[in-house]
Amino acid sequence: MRYTEFTPYDLVLLAQGLGVTVALFLGTSLIGLAVGTLWGIVRYYRVPGLTQIITFVAELLKNSPVLVQLFLVFFGFPAFFHLDLGPVGAAVITLSANTAAFVYVIAVSAIESIGRDQIEAARVFGLSRWQVLRHVIAPQAAAFSIGPLTALLVNQLQVTSLISVIGVMDLSKIGATLNLRTLKPFVVWSVVGLLYYLAAKLVATLGARIERRLRAHTAFRGL
Amino acid sequence: MRFDLTVLVPHLGFLAEGALLTALVCGLALVGGVILGMVVAIARTSSNRVVNRIAAAYVDLFRNIPFIVQLFFFYYGLPEIGIFIDAFTTGVVALSIAGGAYASDAIRAGILAIDTGILEAAEVSGLSRRTIFRRIVLPIALRTSVRPLGSVLINMILTSSVLSTITLNELTGQAKIVASDTFRPFEVYFVLLVVYAALTYLVSLGIALLHRRLNRDLSEPVG
Repeated sequence: MRYTEFTPYDLVLLAQGLGVTVALFLGTSLIGLAVGTLWGIVRYYRVPGLTQIITFVAELLKNSPVLVQLFLVFFGFPAFFHLDLGPVGAAVITLSANTAAFVYVIAVSAIESIGRDQIEAARVFGLSRWQVLRHVIAPQAAAFSIGPLTALLVNQLQVTSLISVIGVMDLSKIGATLNLRTLKPFVVWSVVGLLYYLAAKLVATLGARIERRLRAHTAFRGL
Repeated sequence: MRFDLTVLVPHLGFLAEGALLTALVCGLALVGGVILGMVVAIARTSSNRVVNRIAAAYVDLFRNIPFIVQLFFFYYGLPEIGIFIDAFTTGVVALSIAGGAYASDAIRAGILAIDTGILEAAEVSGLSRRTIFRRIVLPIALRTSVRPLGSVLINMILTSSVLSTITLNELTGQAKIVASDTFRPFEVYFVLLVVYAALTYLVSLGIALLHRRLNRDLSEPVG
């Protein structure tokens, strides 16, 4: 007997898939943000050697398909390093590294967006390089980078759909499963697409709200 | 295990076939995407409220839904309504539609950046709206948006790797076959990563050259 009709349980499946997608998105975004920012700080301190390596790795990650990176970690690492990560582990590593590479670029341009004169003035007042970074650069860089970061995160949310290819039961994989069972591709993929769309809109709205708050004190108030 | 690239040598021709298919798909999708992008950009800059809304909705929708979901929607959905096309055509169509959404943004920015004085001069000279668009607006807009269109193309090359999931054996699809033939997934995908990065790097160099060439009269040093 084949269950080709939609059942109420399919909604639970979809919710589960959405949960996996959102959880992986949030987790890898946080790791990516932390690592990418750290890379940016390494560059700020001009650590010799390390800066060049980071820039090279970031370029490589930015300019290659996420799918290939996923395959490299999921199929390549177990064969080469005898390191079996499982689909979720491979997904977390790949998505985090990919997000970090893009965050690094944003962090670098955000740090460079602050005028040299401000940094020099702060240094003359006797602030250490760390204090300059913490109290002069960081607040302004955060406001500067929130726009590009929101765009990046909206994009990364969509990139998470690729992990369905290596067998993580995320929203896309649930979609594929339902599609195979019910053979109603239009309904299934429309619903899946709508869920992704709503999630992306939520991220964009939150980003815009945070940006308004961070920029509140620099906003033009009128004469 | 030793990192041994020589195992790939017998498969280079096979991989080159895939690379050729990737180039073909991306070339066709670029043409489709730019044409679609032009139409949508014109619609988005038109004064007709309804046309404007529809175009904006298209861009919003296709930019916020993961490509793999769009691809499955077309690949599994089209046969349902009696349209039987092969994976290659589906891939090109899906990539064109997704790329068109991004391309339209780039071209729209180019159109909006045109000096209104030029348009007024053209109107005063008695040129029809059609001629103004075809002979003045589009050439200027396309020329100034070469660089953003280039990043659309690079994104397209990276996104085309997803087409391997609908049995289209482009570069990533062929590499998957080679990886399972040689049992050396790490080497295969590592090389693939570097090849994609090199490919997109070359494309970005070419775009920079094209941009300089097309805009050479604008970059002349003053005085």
